[in-house]
Amino acid sequence: MLEILIRELQTYEANKSGLIGKSKGKFVLIKDNQVVGVFDTRIDAIRQGYERLGNVPFFVKQIVEIDIPQNFTSNLFGV
Amino acid sequence: MQTVGPVVEVRLAIGTVVEEVLQRSGQSIPTAVQALAMIDTGATATVVREDIVKQLNLNPVGITLINTPSSTNVQCYEYLMRLLFPNNVIVESVVIAAPLHGQHIQCLIGRDVLRHGVFIYTGYIDTFTLSF
Repeated sequence: MLEILIRELQTYEANKSGLIGKSKGKFVLIKDNQVVGVFDTRIDAIRQGYERLGNVPFFVKQIVEIDIPQNFTSNLFGV
Repeated sequence: MQTVGPVVEVRLAIGTVVEEVLQRSGQSIPTAVQALAMIDTGATATVVREDIVKQLNLNPVGITLINTPSSTNVQCYEYLMRLLFPNNVIVESVVIAAPLHGQHIQCLIGRDVLRHGVFIYTGYIDTFTLSF
């Protein structure tokens, strides 16, 4: 169970439909319950996160209707 | 190589922008961590063992879902990190932190990194090459 970024994840879900309407495919930067900004690329959003907020947890996510999981075939995983 | 797989010594460091922010604020820069990495063409993304991000004092920049042979839709944290390969090759990527079984492998190099290079596995002479 994740403990960090839960509030940010909830903020994303609360704003998801509006974000999809305006900025589908772009990358949102969220801290706590605030949408800090929307950016064209993931690295732009991460850069702005560090520049504005410093070395603290923040949430960057591509704005998509359905999240596709990353896939791994290795049995080295402990999850 | 057939037994251990294609493994390479890498160093794992914080991302460039994190380093710039830490430098500007006068904070110390964590030293890069030495790690044994397995090249994994079956991995969508690069994965590092969870203790590595703690050693680098990194904070997550996102959450992603992963599917593994034993579980589906597991939430994991993502971190901006640099992979320092031999011959001064540096690849920056957003990597996933997850528990990895066994002590010998601390990192899986996934297709997010391999997309930048050429990976040749030559089984009959027991070698591989990875070039960027």
